[in-house]
Amino acid sequence: MPFINEILKYSSLSIVGLEKNTGKTECLKYVLNRMPVNTRRIAVTSIGIDGETVDQVTRTQKPEIVLPQGMYFATSEAHYKLRRLVSELVDVSDENTSLGRVVTAKALTAGKILLSGPPSATGLIRWMNQMRRLGVDLTIIDGALSRLSSASPAVSESMILATGAAYSANINTLVQKTAHVVQLINLPLADEGLRNTFGALDKGTWWLDDEGTLNELSSVTSLSQNIRFQGMERCRTLFVAGALVDSFIEKVRKNKDLKHVEIVVRDFTRIFVSPQLFRLFVKGGGRVTVLHKSKLIAVTVNPTSPSGYVLDSDILCEKLSEAIELPVYDLLKNK
Amino acid sequence: MQLKNVIDSPSGLRFMLDKLELQSGFARRSLLDMEMFTDTAAIQGSYDVLRHFARFLETTDRARVTTLLFKLQALKDIRTTIKNLEQHATLDDIELFELKHLAILAVDVKKLLTEHGMERVVEIPDLDKVVDILDPDGLKIATFYVYDSYCQQLKDLRVQMRQHPELQDELLLEAGELELEVRTDLSKQLCAFAPVIRQALTALAQIDIYLAKAAQMKQMGLCFPVISTDGTTRYRGLFHPQVKEALEANARQFQPVDISFDLKPTLITGANMGGKTVVLKTVTLCQYLFQFGFGIPATNAVIDVKSQVFFCIGDEQSVEKGLSSFAAEMRNIDAVIKASRKERKLLALIDEPARTTNPTEGAALVAALLQVLATADMSLILTTHYDIEPGEARCLRVKGFEDGVMNYSLIEVHDGEVPHEALNIAEALGIDTQWISQARTMIDIHAKNNRLL
Repeated sequence: MPFINEILKYSSLSIVGLEKNTGKTECLKYVLNRMPVNTRRIAVTSIGIDGETVDQVTRTQKPEIVLPQGMYFATSEAHYKLRRLVSELVDVSDENTSLGRVVTAKALTAGKILLSGPPSATGLIRWMNQMRRLGVDLTIIDGALSRLSSASPAVSESMILATGAAYSANINTLVQKTAHVVQLINLPLADEGLRNTFGALDKGTWWLDDEGTLNELSSVTSLSQNIRFQGMERCRTLFVAGALVDSFIEKVRKNKDLKHVEIVVRDFTRIFVSPQLFRLFVKGGGRVTVLHKSKLIAVTVNPTSPSGYVLDSDILCEKLSEAIELPVYDLLKNK
Repeated sequence: MQLKNVIDSPSGLRFMLDKLELQSGFARRSLLDMEMFTDTAAIQGSYDVLRHFARFLETTDRARVTTLLFKLQALKDIRTTIKNLEQHATLDDIELFELKHLAILAVDVKKLLTEHGMERVVEIPDLDKVVDILDPDGLKIATFYVYDSYCQQLKDLRVQMRQHPELQDELLLEAGELELEVRTDLSKQLCAFAPVIRQALTALAQIDIYLAKAAQMKQMGLCFPVISTDGTTRYRGLFHPQVKEALEANARQFQPVDISFDLKPTLITGANMGGKTVVLKTVTLCQYLFQFGFGIPATNAVIDVKSQVFFCIGDEQSVEKGLSSFAAEMRNIDAVIKASRKERKLLALIDEPARTTNPTEGAALVAALLQVLATADMSLILTTHYDIEPGEARCLRVKGFEDGVMNYSLIEVHDGEVPHEALNIAEALGIDTQWISQARTMIDIHAKNNRLL
């Protein structure tokens, strides 16, 4: 598979599923089995619990995570004790999760493991740094967007996106919805100056004027009809530390002083804007940029939905690939 | 009383802790759990050790210091594991990993400190034997699993596992039994070392704390205090690091002050904005820093050991308790009086008591407070704007405005007369001229009437 070589160019990879049962775990398994563990140090973890034998929500079969010998992995204490392989502990973190602390170990035999890694964004970054210290060349993060996890997969350098019939059972809708997410993942990075200015702000909405002075925007509530603040005509950049939602972008779009503004968000996972509205904003002269960006390497599809509905894999791959201008793979079919 | 109980004192102690560059969370926790020293020997001992670490930082190659600090970052709180070990539990892989990790860290840090002649300053017990038990292959790296070399049978099983992955689940069950035997045996061997492992953990946290304190002294320009033997506390060039930093951020300078006090009450008067409250804050801060073994923000300090410190500042946040500011203040001062009857060697700093009530009763309350506390075995510093009879109290006054510039120095005066500079200061602040000039007229009329009488 071509994208394996692509993955090895980066020091971190996240595998992101657009919905449960879109084949993310299959994709992870596929990648893990093809990693050169004998020549490179590779560590894998998950944000949120993963590796359940049966999906907790839909009760469908889920593939177990089987690690090859030589791979490093991070999981919670509780899941470490349930491991079905021989492994050597290399790190125990200070961070406590509901399943105990996060421990990292090296697999001395191949075997099965339940993955459940750092639950928070800072915890995830700390783990990645710790792995770098231990000489790990590549960290792989198993992450989902639909999960309630504050750890964002966008901290990784590269990304693979898993989509499929579970996300939408209509090929055209699925292609459109996936293309929208791909567009968000590919949003450009904000300038370095802006990244430094906004990087440390973890809440609130902020704006920069034409001289680069930073001000907090205090009164953006969902109740107010319009955005109005002193010096608005000089505003060039808005930073939304939390979620960017429809109502906010709609107010910005309709404001004659702001419609050409650049909106900066932390990463694509913070954007909850409908595709139509997003298009209108960009068309009207607005721009959206991000503080953290991952290079999207490939998209994988699972044409089977948990309800049993199956889409035509070839048509799906072709249509999607055309829409997003990236390689698309059905991993089960291409096995 | 532990450090964590007083960290939010209005003296600004939290600022000092926030600025302390500790390497591990465990050291921070240990420091917050520390009991305040009330014993002269303990304070002296702590400063003697701190002096060694300050010299170590002065004289040691930066790269070596960084190596040591980096190592200390790996210090983890493994008290639960040590407790399990003491209770003869069979430790699991993670717990054994933690012990090995700590033991290797202790051996490493000890070696580094020994190379600098510091091995006796904070003694780290020898954990080489613990390392040996948990490192059968002599790899000296801080990783752990139940090694093949612990048990031939286990080794054979693992070889089989790799050859026959299809039998893995079955073989793992068998191996699990053997691993349990090994871990039980290891736990038994390690049990005897539990006390020294605990000592090593404490010692490493102490080293982290001393290094951070020593670095802070250099960074903030703090001094080593001398312990007073005559009940007098004397500061020269006293400053408040947090206020100083805030002023410097606005391109202004902190004017250090000199102050001394003994077991007689001290009364500070002075113009508004003359820095009286900052003096009280700083003296409180220094007393805490002293009794928790930190450097002191002064060029020179001789400090008397106290058993308890009270800092009563007018604007207590007691709204939540439903108390008026007056009621809250009265209760706080009441606590000082009650304590003065029971405890010895108190330090109490009271900022403008009874300021929120009428001047007649307010002045009476302050004068009476001085009398009530005059005989107690305590150091008392009180600030006020009221004209009161100082009695036995020593009087200090802020020098005040000189050629339009505030001089924050304290001078000794022989009565408690308060300066009348409020209107001048308000004027200098650019407050509404009509208001200030009418006030001035009223004072003039008042003075004329008094003269006529």
